[in-house]
Amino acid sequence: MSTVIGENVPRVDGQEKVTGRALYTGDLKLAGMVQGKVLRCPYAHARIRRIDARKAETLPGVVAVLTRDNLKVATPYIGAMIKDQPVIALEKARYAGDVVAAVAALDDAVAEEALKAIEVDYEELPAVMSVDDALSPTAPLIHERIERSRPPAYGRGASYIAHEHSNICHHFHYERGDVNEGFRQSDLVFEDEFVYPTAQHYPMEPTISVASYEGDSVTVWSPSQAPFATRQEISRVFGMPLSRIRVIVPHVGGGYGGSKGALTSILAVALSRHVRRPVRVAFSADENFKTICQPQIKVVIKTGVKKDGTFVARQSRVYLNAGAYVYSTPSVAEKAGYRSHGPYHIPYVLTDSYAVYTNTVPAGAFRGFGGHQAAFAYESQADIIAHRLAMDPVELRRRNLLGRGEEYAAGDTPIDCDLKGMLEELAVAIEWDKKEEPPKDPRFKRGKGIACAVKDGGGSGKSASATVRIMSDGSAVLSTGSVEIGQGVRTTMLQITAEELTLPTDRVEVAALDTHTTPFDHSTNASSATVVMGQAVQRAAQDARQQLLSAAASTLSVPVEEVQLREGRIIVKEKGWSLPEIMRLCFANVGGEVVGRGSFNQIRDENVPLGQRSPFWEVGFGGAEVEVDEWTGAIRILKYVSVTDAGKMIHPVHCRGQDEGAAMFGIGLSLFEELLYEDGKLANPNLIDYRLPRFRDLPHSFASRIREDAGGPGPYGAKGVGEGGILGVAPAVCNAVFNATGVRIRQVPLKGERVWRALGQPAVKTPVRQ
Amino acid sequence: MDENLVSVRFRLNGQQLAIQVPSQELLIDLIRDRLGLTGTKRSCDMEICGSCTVLLNGKAVSSCTLFAFDVDGKDVLTIEGLAPDGGLHPIQEAFIQYGGFQCGFCTPGMILLAKSLLDEKQVPTEEEIREYMDANLCRCTGYQMIIESVAAAAEKLRRNT
Repeated sequence: MSTVIGENVPRVDGQEKVTGRALYTGDLKLAGMVQGKVLRCPYAHARIRRIDARKAETLPGVVAVLTRDNLKVATPYIGAMIKDQPVIALEKARYAGDVVAAVAALDDAVAEEALKAIEVDYEELPAVMSVDDALSPTAPLIHERIERSRPPAYGRGASYIAHEHSNICHHFHYERGDVNEGFRQSDLVFEDEFVYPTAQHYPMEPTISVASYEGDSVTVWSPSQAPFATRQEISRVFGMPLSRIRVIVPHVGGGYGGSKGALTSILAVALSRHVRRPVRVAFSADENFKTICQPQIKVVIKTGVKKDGTFVARQSRVYLNAGAYVYSTPSVAEKAGYRSHGPYHIPYVLTDSYAVYTNTVPAGAFRGFGGHQAAFAYESQADIIAHRLAMDPVELRRRNLLGRGEEYAAGDTPIDCDLKGMLEELAVAIEWDKKEEPPKDPRFKRGKGIACAVKDGGGSGKSASATVRIMSDGSAVLSTGSVEIGQGVRTTMLQITAEELTLPTDRVEVAALDTHTTPFDHSTNASSATVVMGQAVQRAAQDARQQLLSAAASTLSVPVEEVQLREGRIIVKEKGWSLPEIMRLCFANVGGEVVGRGSFNQIRDENVPLGQRSPFWEVGFGGAEVEVDEWTGAIRILKYVSVTDAGKMIHPVHCRGQDEGAAMFGIGLSLFEELLYEDGKLANPNLIDYRLPRFRDLPHSFASRIREDAGGPGPYGAKGVGEGGILGVAPAVCNAVFNATGVRIRQVPLKGERVWRALGQPAVKTPVRQ
Repeated sequence: MDENLVSVRFRLNGQQLAIQVPSQELLIDLIRDRLGLTGTKRSCDMEICGSCTVLLNGKAVSSCTLFAFDVDGKDVLTIEGLAPDGGLHPIQEAFIQYGGFQCGFCTPGMILLAKSLLDEKQVPTEEEIREYMDANLCRCTGYQMIIESVAAAAEKLRRNT
């Protein structure tokens, strides 16, 4: 029988996107819509003594000014994990860029004028910009009081440790065995510190929301990866039942974990409720930089090994700069901690991971979610260990990698693919054993490096549901809350539906995402959709199929076991009916439909460290060949190979797009992406000063090798592949730089100056010829 | 607001247009807000990313940093004008077929940049594609599949002629 699984069917949003017809939130025009803009605090930390908005309010064209003085809400605090962020600053502002007031005006220019006319009397407070400063006993408290959500219900070996009167907002602790005993059993112990940068997601579409408050209901359009969470937050803040809040997700111009629309949606609703007309809050690129970022993460990693390279014990201390408000950073801390042992057999483990408030831009989820930062540490250190033991880095990993079926941690999902096989594939692809010709000019050095990483994929606390409706003409409509952020999820879900109903793909449509009609979904993140929502969709389609078979059996008066659905037809023995025919028979010519339902829920299990089994293991093995210019410190990646496992590829082109895109994210973060601060302010919030990867940064040899090890829990054995590619890049590149130059660099990005200094500032030996 | 209005005559997607524009108005605002052609996207707003690319007399330009009056007497092509209604240009077909986009936000600009390249050079080498397309940014694909899309589009166009 023909299958659409594994076929590169045309993506459902393809035509709209290439013709410019696809409507994104910023393309919507509502009658009477006004523009919302916000005033941002220029200081890193300041008490707000007084706000005077009277002048601004009287400007022609200004519809409203919202400050703490006239904000009427049920609760002013929002936050994905800790309700720590006021919708609009209350007694103080906690970073340069914090929202102090919001304006609604007839156009952008008037709104800008109004912002300038708002007078704010600030009292500057001492600020802490780094984790080290924030942990000092004399550090000012950034949040004097916060409403802590319930600590996570961790399971075996893991715990949450509370810190009162501290800037530590989350502390994840995990232990397995007595790590000191492990170090005693070790022949050698290595301790190293690694730093991974704070960075901007930079989805090409900046964050934006449109809200229209009418009567006692509100409709919000927002490019959110978590529209149901947005709805929940609106409900809390404005004291409204969920049934009166409708969140619609138009086309989304990129996500990568940046909590798009979280803040703008609340602000747009607040303004729209105030002025009773549709309000658009669109942040500029500069404001996007000042809204959320990837946390800077420092990992101090201590590993004990036997002389033969066998890993015995590992202690990791992980520090995340959470910024002024934490979004999902506590969860990133937990995952970075849990992921710091890597894909290896290590009997003794002790991990402490801290998320720490500072007066910097709020941090949150970012593609890779702590996994790439942890991998940078343990995979760089793996090469340090191999070098010290005079072992081949491939051999060291071969000796320690977990086998298929072995447990990552007791109780958690066993490794669901052949990691050792992937290591061999990586070594072949990067031509590990081939000695490359050194460049003729001694100023340039070349080297190769590898890295092997995994992360638990699919997220925690997931709940997803879907419906599949078979219409009276035999076509079907799928309703799913997974957000199309570019990964191709709508096409994937369509393929699953078509497969289960044996329909051609052009007989299935995927409904627009609208929380009023779309069944609940937790969120689209953690490479989860194919596995988590995929199962819900598959079950919904199977439920619809079963109902159809039952209805057909009853109408045709035959036992249901004798009824089959094949190639889009109902078959009973030698007789067949098309779906429209059978639907007409079943529903007595008056029309009607079959509604199938499916859901997926993660189940709590206290025998698992994170309290839930990881849905699957997402793999990111990377191999890099680099050229280092010793005079300038400039690094070129000549070749990059990414090896991952999709379990089963439902849409190979989209799988490849995910893996290559993730690897390119890793290349940007490894070579140049980094947010910088000066005088308490973000110094590079724009694309001139913050460099994104361009075509020229694509290595000339760049390959993504996606295996299908058939071990995924998703439909047909599928796993997620959205983040694997990012995991191995930084350590593979730094290992290659070491291989080329003998110099170990423990902080990325590898900007020219950082590399040049690390190389001992080699002097330019001959004048550069013009 | 005291705005000086300027009379501008230009061809937009093949149609002659005469319109009064405020002297301060940027081309992107004229196209998106007043003419309703929202396929042209705004992102960095400083001529770095190329999401707002349109073709001016066949050459790719950033509409976010170009005054509307600058198009006077010229020919402007936006993504909406690339293919007749309901149809696809071979570049658009290739981008769909070869995974040349994901979220789609940079795509109109990327496709117009590719058209500008392929109008100049019918059979570009991979190196020439990389160099030319370097003008625009994409955060999703990692670029390899855009390069493949452009190469495939060149092949499609060559076969069509």
